[in-house]
Amino acid sequence: MQADVAQIDTKIEVVTPENIAFHYQVAGPARRAMAFLIDLVIRLGILFGVGCLTAVFGIVAGGVAILGYLIAYFLLDWFYGALFETFMNGQTPGKRVLGIRVLTVDGQPINGLQAVIRNVLRSVDLMPVLSLEMFGIPAPMYIIPTFMVGLVIMATNRRFQRLGDLVCRTMVVMEERQWLAGVARLDDPRAMRLADYLPADFQITRTLAQALAHYVERRGYYSEARRREVARHLGEPLLRQFGLPHDTSHDLLLCALYYRAFVADVGDEARRKVRQGESPFGPPDATAAAAAAGQFPRTWPLPQQQMVTLPPAAGPDAARIL
Amino acid sequence: MKVAELLEKRRENWLQLEQFCEQMKGRRLASLGAANISRFAALYRAACADLALADSYQLPPNTVQYLHRLVGRAHNQLYRSRKFDLTSWLIVLLFEVPQRVFNDRCVQLMFCIFWGTFVLSAALAYSKQLWPDYAEQMLTSAQIESLEENFKNPIAGRPSEANFVMAGFYIQHNTSIGLRCFAGGLLVVPGLFITLFNAAFLGAAFGYMARPDVAAGTNFLHFVTAHGPFELTAIVLSAGAGLRLGVSWLKTNGLTREASLSKTAEEAMPIMGAAMVMFFLAAMIEGFLSPSAAPYWVKATVAVLSSGMLMFYFIVLGIPRRPSNAVG
Repeated sequence: MQADVAQIDTKIEVVTPENIAFHYQVAGPARRAMAFLIDLVIRLGILFGVGCLTAVFGIVAGGVAILGYLIAYFLLDWFYGALFETFMNGQTPGKRVLGIRVLTVDGQPINGLQAVIRNVLRSVDLMPVLSLEMFGIPAPMYIIPTFMVGLVIMATNRRFQRLGDLVCRTMVVMEERQWLAGVARLDDPRAMRLADYLPADFQITRTLAQALAHYVERRGYYSEARRREVARHLGEPLLRQFGLPHDTSHDLLLCALYYRAFVADVGDEARRKVRQGESPFGPPDATAAAAAAGQFPRTWPLPQQQMVTLPPAAGPDAARIL
Repeated sequence: MKVAELLEKRRENWLQLEQFCEQMKGRRLASLGAANISRFAALYRAACADLALADSYQLPPNTVQYLHRLVGRAHNQLYRSRKFDLTSWLIVLLFEVPQRVFNDRCVQLMFCIFWGTFVLSAALAYSKQLWPDYAEQMLTSAQIESLEENFKNPIAGRPSEANFVMAGFYIQHNTSIGLRCFAGGLLVVPGLFITLFNAAFLGAAFGYMARPDVAAGTNFLHFVTAHGPFELTAIVLSAGAGLRLGVSWLKTNGLTREASLSKTAEEAMPIMGAAMVMFFLAAMIEGFLSPSAAPYWVKATVAVLSSGMLMFYFIVLGIPRRPSNAVG
């Protein structure tokens, strides 16, 4: 399944020296264009600052000041990106704002030479250029890059590499922070109670656990009808297998299984006893006995208290799981 | 062990690793302190191990995704870009580039193309019989007028302020042309176009100014002598390195196109670096010596000396050596 996802997704797998394969999401042209625009504004800002300094310093030595200004202009024009990407570990200020970073295709940091090459070759990626004169505005100094070459090349490879990236084997990846959401909270205490009715010797396979996690983490976004529709496919055969009443909510059953799989497995103890030859149906302790009798103690811990939750400052992603 | 328990146990480690990532953002690694760095590395390895075992732990998918992101961020903080190393760049510029250029068919071909076009264009512009209107068509009459206007008076020096300004302009303008020649070479056609256009234009300007009936001609030649060798060599060199890039993905010598391209780029970029140094030297000479009132023999000597330096660079340093003598 993972392989199929990688085909249609923009994920790139990287193997680290620690021999771990992890996924990066490749940054697309829109995000990179935004970063480029921010960098452009910063570049103009720096140029304006240097211009002011030149004007001040020019009172003393005009020629030298303008020489400095022109050299600064040249460096900013061609080496702004290269300098920042080398000294800021693959990021320019614009890239940092957008949360993207340049890496080699092997996931390694780029070196100075790669940073220089990919930035010098941007002048090919921005071809063909239009000039304002084509629109009848007499301003030969101002040209409009169309970035068509870069876009076409980006569309032809899996990593969204422009020509400059292809040449020095780099790619731009997203580096976003994600909040640790932990185990999904179940809003219905009945799910937990239902978990007790599930056969204690039922083993939840790996794929079933994954399907359950996918469902329960997302069910918060679904309407009631949609939940019923989705949960039916897995719920129906399971109800039959467990011999539970037909009118049991499928959604609730999946939640109960999820609870069993990820949070608290009351069946562990029972299964151990089955293996040791004891009857699983004997009353092992008071709680189970009460559960079997259908009386639930008021002191039963709510699922919320047991599960991993986030610290209060956790952000919007965590709130959505609730 | 249940997933919820496991997550509870690991949460603190992961959050701490996240905190370190935040702290290290945009700072030098050393500023964190030795103890924290080793703690960071340990946390990173632990997170890697958790990710590796995520499947057998049966972690929920959103936690796995979180771990991918976390490991990715920590990885980027641990493995950082290497800085420019000046000594190794110097070694590359002084030893590897000349040897590479000496054997580089693309640079040789570009040398022939550039100078061939230059001489042809100069001859056409000089001669009034071969193609009487060539100079006007190539240079446009406005350009010719401004050329004649600029070199109307004998070169007698100018205020030093203007020298600085012009030196800056030459650095910015000429090196940009060189870099554009180089980058355009990747797609072959744009690079060839820029080079041919420059060769034809410069050739026509030289040819026209060399006509015996053009009064400004001697002043023009007086001006261009000193910086010519560096500037024209630099433009040939950048165009040649660009052509090498373009050829690398057309003729791959058994590599994949991408591999051939990236291997060649690493070799061609230092050649472009050498060209940039030459552009810089040429701009200095063009800004300060060429417009000065110094007698012609001084400028000619500078031209001869710089040609000699280029010869030394490309032939003496560039001659192929036995592998035992090769550097690096």
